[in-house]
Amino acid sequence: MTGAHARTALRAEHVTVRFGGLVAVNDVSFTVPEGAIVSMIGPNGAGKTTFFNALTGLYELTAGRVYIGEKEVSNLALHRIAALGVGRTFQNIRLFGLMTAEENVKVAMHPHLRSGVTATVLRTPRQRREEREARQRARELLAFVGIAGAANEYARNLSYGDQRRLEVARALALRPKVLLLDEPTAGMNPRESAQFTEFVHRLRDEKSVSVLLIEHDMSVVMRVSERITVLDRGERIAEGTPDEIRSDPRVVEAYLGKAGREQRL
Amino acid sequence: MTDHSAPVPPRTGRRRVFGHAHRARVRRIPERLGWPVGFALAALALFLLHYYASLLGLKGFLDVWLPRVSLNEALVYVICALGLNIVVGYAGLLDLGFVAFWALGGYTAAWLMSAFFHQVNVHIGGSVPTTTPGIHVNFWLVLLVGAALCFVAGVLIGAPTLRLRSDYLALVTLGFGEIIPQVFRNGDDIFGFNLSNGDQSITPLDPVRSIAIEANGVSYRNLGPFDLLSKYLIFVGLAALVIFISLRLRDGKLGRAWLAIREDEVAASAMGVPLMRTKLAAYGIGAVAGGLGGVAYATHVNGAFAGTFRFQISITLLAMVVLGGMGNVWGVTIGALVLAWINSTGLPQFGNAFNRQFGTDINFPGYSFLLFGGALVLMMLFRREGILPEARTRLVLREEETADPAADAGEAGEPDGWAAAGAGKAGERS
Amino acid sequence: MTQTTLTATVRPPLSTKVIISRTIAGAILVLAAIWLVANAVAGPTQFFSAAIAGLNNGALYALIALGYTMVYGIIQLINFAHGDLFMLGTLFSAFLITTVFGQTAPSAVAWAVFALTLVATMAFCGVVNVAIEFLAYRRLRRAPRLAPLITAIGMSFVLQQIGLIWNGSLQRQWPSVLPSGGITIGGVGISYKFLIVVALVVPLLLVMRWLVAKTRPGKAMRATSQDQDATRLMGIDVNATISFTFLLGGALAGAAGVLYQQTIASTRYDLGFQLGLIAFTAAVLGGIGNLTGAVLGGVLIGLIQGINDGAPYGLGQRWSQSVVFSILILLMVFRPNGLLGQSTGE
Repeated sequence: MTGAHARTALRAEHVTVRFGGLVAVNDVSFTVPEGAIVSMIGPNGAGKTTFFNALTGLYELTAGRVYIGEKEVSNLALHRIAALGVGRTFQNIRLFGLMTAEENVKVAMHPHLRSGVTATVLRTPRQRREEREARQRARELLAFVGIAGAANEYARNLSYGDQRRLEVARALALRPKVLLLDEPTAGMNPRESAQFTEFVHRLRDEKSVSVLLIEHDMSVVMRVSERITVLDRGERIAEGTPDEIRSDPRVVEAYLGKAGREQRL
Repeated sequence: MTDHSAPVPPRTGRRRVFGHAHRARVRRIPERLGWPVGFALAALALFLLHYYASLLGLKGFLDVWLPRVSLNEALVYVICALGLNIVVGYAGLLDLGFVAFWALGGYTAAWLMSAFFHQVNVHIGGSVPTTTPGIHVNFWLVLLVGAALCFVAGVLIGAPTLRLRSDYLALVTLGFGEIIPQVFRNGDDIFGFNLSNGDQSITPLDPVRSIAIEANGVSYRNLGPFDLLSKYLIFVGLAALVIFISLRLRDGKLGRAWLAIREDEVAASAMGVPLMRTKLAAYGIGAVAGGLGGVAYATHVNGAFAGTFRFQISITLLAMVVLGGMGNVWGVTIGALVLAWINSTGLPQFGNAFNRQFGTDINFPGYSFLLFGGALVLMMLFRREGILPEARTRLVLREEETADPAADAGEAGEPDGWAAAGAGKAGERS
Repeated sequence: MTQTTLTATVRPPLSTKVIISRTIAGAILVLAAIWLVANAVAGPTQFFSAAIAGLNNGALYALIALGYTMVYGIIQLINFAHGDLFMLGTLFSAFLITTVFGQTAPSAVAWAVFALTLVATMAFCGVVNVAIEFLAYRRLRRAPRLAPLITAIGMSFVLQQIGLIWNGSLQRQWPSVLPSGGITIGGVGISYKFLIVVALVVPLLLVMRWLVAKTRPGKAMRATSQDQDATRLMGIDVNATISFTFLLGGALAGAAGVLYQQTIASTRYDLGFQLGLIAFTAAVLGGIGNLTGAVLGGVLIGLIQGINDGAPYGLGQRWSQSVVFSILILLMVFRPNGLLGQSTGE
């Protein structure tokens, strides 16, 4: 770990995830320093999404611990971890198709809205104010990701790109400390990927979140990450700066096989 | 190209993709005002029709085709169907045993408004002389107690079962829907204690003390068996209350949470929605409506009759929710009124008229199984979204077989930002 | 990998929820065992008579449960109408044996008619089941879960209406062509009817087992239940396979119908609803989707119901359904995979 004094937004210690006889993630330790942009890469099936799912509470940790800031969140329920400040997007977009973009974002504000059943039914002044503020904040987030005009569209009617952006806006509504993006540039062309790199920097700078990416697009990874962790077959095989990873023979071998060892990434 | 740093103005070239939702946006404005006003007017119109029936020369017609008894019974179905709508329509939890709450509400009324527990003498605002043995609580208070009891029952039933997946949940609710009425049917001897009088049922109940509308004025007294119009007003009020609560909740944080759960439980959970608590809320609040309906029904039939609480009622309620469009409060209201009317009045009277006309002797009411069953099958095959669906439900039940997000982009025609790089086209590149 | 320290191998502690859940499950099992033993001790003859009666039902439940579990295994649908198909089977059986062939007592001719009716009813119910699948369920195969479930409920009502028209609203009694009387072992009476049921059901189940395990259509069934799309890609006609499954399930329900009609000798239009749900509970008890489990579950449920109805410490017949449904609920909450199903990781 770099610098014991550096604050960490997310810390995973010796995380193992086992499904019956299959060990999908094997003793992976991992840190996202505060305010950092970190990537996790590895060949298909390396266990990256499984690791994400374990971090967010979707899968049970067979062993290990996870911390958000100083608070341990190992094996807490999904919604508790989300409320504690972990937002995520999904590899296969999982929006609420039959809710508008604005409603999608507002769903993620659930942990922060205080009004109960009675207040909602009676529409107390406080509840009305909360709803107003939620609406406003949702629209701001939609504008931030660039789909302000789609606020009243049903999510399933949006274009693929807009859906991806909506997923980010929705995750941001949680006021997360850490944002986990699962293959956010899947299906993008090079120009869009470049824009996306700028977008990630904006995320970190303007929304004060630490970002953890799973990515396959090497150009994006190299450009956007401060640190990269490489998984292969459920194990962490390398970790370092983009330059270090680029020239790490183990990484090249994992991706390209032994024959590729001579080539540079 | 799209610019991330500034808000994007609405695009003009995507009419088709937006078209569908645009229709939905326009639909909402009249939905706000039109429906409540319409409901109030319709309720008032029916009331006046009956009040002035003799004057208008309609008494004969109304007594055959729209008798007050049927009207009141239909309203009870509306109340319960709206409760089921919250569970099935909003939160997407299939409940096949709703009759249990109806029964619980009914027996609550029977316990608290009759001479059944003649061993004690409790009077709380009751409508009978204080010398009468038994528990006699004010009707309005009984409504509250029935609602509360059903809420607790809903939470108790839901707590261990709501985490099951949909078909298993359906069965478990069916199980409860059979067990609870059977407990009441056998309830005359539960370890020596007479809980429900078993098949002999608990009857009669205390009269309801409320505003009575008569030909020569208004008074506040015990309602008798002929004060059907006054009961009508009470039932309309209860229905309006449940409608009001349903609509308010749907627009707030809980309604959004329910819809999200119905869509995608895991994603909802990952966005901070506590699944169990939210599902329990749907179950409990739906049960409250069932309790209100149950109490109302008990005063309508003047008793709690064990044999009336059958599985068919749960399915009838489900049919009403399905017919009306799952989640659509107004649709379910209309659906419930129509189906209840057909079942109690429409079918028998139509049968009579038909038989008279054609000299046949067909027992039309005996075909109610075919009617409901056939309606359910046909609705599911041809119009799953209901007669008056919410714009959303039309989409949920007509889901395309292959979920391909890029398909929308492709059909929009022009490449647009990331749309051009949709999943379908990416496949070509690699 | 570097050597891990002790702190690294911390296993997440069992949550209190899991502990409570397992304790309750264990307590229920213990109580049930005690109840069984108490019954057996208090009145052994009564206990075994009740058990035999229960096994008689259990054999029929096994047949019906197989139909449920096969259909659920292949298209994940709880076919609510399956029990009512069984009811139609009883009506068809009564129709053939008594009305058409006029057989009212055991004889050589009656045996022939019985055998013929068995085959005919199995065919009848099988075909009806295939028709229902084709007309009502096939279109909804990719629809969200709610739709086919509601359709199945609707279909159940339609079949009940047919039963109502055919049989009237009251229960009807029928003469049986199976011999009455029986043998006695240690004071417990075992009727000939029971022996005949066993003699017919066991081979039927073995044939079913062979069909699914060893024949090509059976392999196709198993493949389809695991992955429809992959099966289709292998060139197997999925539609035909599903239809075949419904045919088998229907045939079994038909067989159960004939046996019920000739042993219990009564028919009612709503028989299907009650027994159908009990049979489904049996399928769940054994592990839904598991054929052996369905048989095991059927026998067990039949036993439990029989003992409840007839043994000294049973609650009596009027609580019969509540007992079975309580078992269903407890199963779903604590062990949805039943006895022989695998534990699924949610």
